[in-house]
Amino acid sequence: MGIQTGIRCNWQLDFRINIKTMTLRPFKILVYKKYLSIVLLLITAIIVKGQETSLIAISNTKGAPSTMKMTELKSVLKGEKQRWNDGTKVSIVLMKTNTPVGEATCQKIYNMSGDKVKRFWLGLSFSGKSDAPIFCNSISELETIVSQTPGAIAILDKISISTNTKTIVVDGKNSF
Amino acid sequence: MKELKSIAILLIINSFISSSVLHAQNTQIKGFVDALAGVQNDKLSFALGEQDLFITSELSDRFSFLGESVFRFTNTTPTKFSVSIERIVIKYNFSGNHNILVGKHHTPINYWNDTYHHGRVLFPTIFRPLLFDANIIPLHTTGVSLQGHNLGELKFGYDLMIGNGIGSTDVLDNDARKSITAAMHIKPAEGLRLGISWYNDGISKGASGHDGMPVQWAVDQNLFSGSIAYFGNKFEVLAEGTLGINKTDTTGSTRTLASYIYAGFKIREKIVPYVRLDNLTFQEGEIFYDNNNTTAFVGGIRYNINYVTVVKMEYQHQHTARDGDSNRYTMQLAIGF
Repeated sequence: MGIQTGIRCNWQLDFRINIKTMTLRPFKILVYKKYLSIVLLLITAIIVKGQETSLIAISNTKGAPSTMKMTELKSVLKGEKQRWNDGTKVSIVLMKTNTPVGEATCQKIYNMSGDKVKRFWLGLSFSGKSDAPIFCNSISELETIVSQTPGAIAILDKISISTNTKTIVVDGKNSF
Repeated sequence: MKELKSIAILLIINSFISSSVLHAQNTQIKGFVDALAGVQNDKLSFALGEQDLFITSELSDRFSFLGESVFRFTNTTPTKFSVSIERIVIKYNFSGNHNILVGKHHTPINYWNDTYHHGRVLFPTIFRPLLFDANIIPLHTTGVSLQGHNLGELKFGYDLMIGNGIGSTDVLDNDARKSITAAMHIKPAEGLRLGISWYNDGISKGASGHDGMPVQWAVDQNLFSGSIAYFGNKFEVLAEGTLGINKTDTTGSTRTLASYIYAGFKIREKIVPYVRLDNLTFQEGEIFYDNNNTTAFVGGIRYNINYVTVVKMEYQHQHTARDGDSNRYTMQLAIGF
């Protein structure tokens, strides 16, 4: 409502200007419509931002710690750790990069597009430095693999109720 | 005492077997291939690149295997193609990020040789830097190595390797002397890797050099290499240099400096224009390397269609002391499968 009032005022101002320069009016209306569009786009972006996929890190009950820093989580998911402190082998399980959870994981963990994440892992496994993650088509498939694989760690968008899995608290929060 | 030894051996074997049984074997086969078109000396030619088959297998909780075989054009065989084993590495992860590797490796002497191997789709440019073509460094070593990576805050990594030296085959060393490679690197920031290495070998008189020709003197070789690699969201920089010191009883020590610098700038996520400068400087009297001072400029553009399909277009101007100037235009389509 406030925006509409502002526009009316501007039109009045515009009208006054037009008394002196009759040619400016159509141009001014276009400019104000443009501003209105930008404001609406910003509001939409804020709403969408608020609704972006919230992620949760889960793991098999054996291996990963119950709490981690975000930097540690990112390091593990970039293949920089071969074994957990208890000696269990780290296995990374991710949703495919073309799924909503996979896309959000690429952005929040890797700060890369899905294609770049796949290229990153191709290069790493090719150099022999790390085993590539297991990429899953569905959350249920991901949960099954994590529950059956000691040392597995995964990212999903809801708390898992599968047996043999636990939620990892990251920077003191359940989700990020 | 004998019984204790037997029990210990049985326990070790049992631990290997049980870990193998508990973990299903996970084997993946991937490959790379490329096709080229190029203009040199006013002539257009089409060419097949290498077909690289790459196999990884997790044998158990601790053991894994990596194999890389390349099929390439070879004029001297009846079929005009040959197969070569580029890497066979059996890795045992003995603790944390520390591993023992046995087999045929790409010598971890610099970033390029330790990272890109034969995956042309991963190369930032179409061809390797000139220090590879000029056989300055040993590309492969068959032997055993200790490797660690991403240790501590600086993500320190190391490789310590002993292996058959230059002139040996993959099944037999030609002399008693072993090659030694010691390399270390740190990754102090995202995308940044700084590394140094030292390679030492004694090359016997009559042994085959990198180019297959017999060496006329016994050579004591030391290679000191350094590299800076930065691959960020916008900029890419890779600079590497190797100082090669070859010493013989008759000619003394000669020094060779081989280096290159690559820089790329992502104008869009998938489009990267790039340049590379190469330099090879041989000291007068060099007898192990092909003494031919060379400089080259490479300019090109890389378009990543997707993560396993890349098109590159490149111009190269090269000047050698022996042959003068030459120009080459090349286009490459590289894929992974």
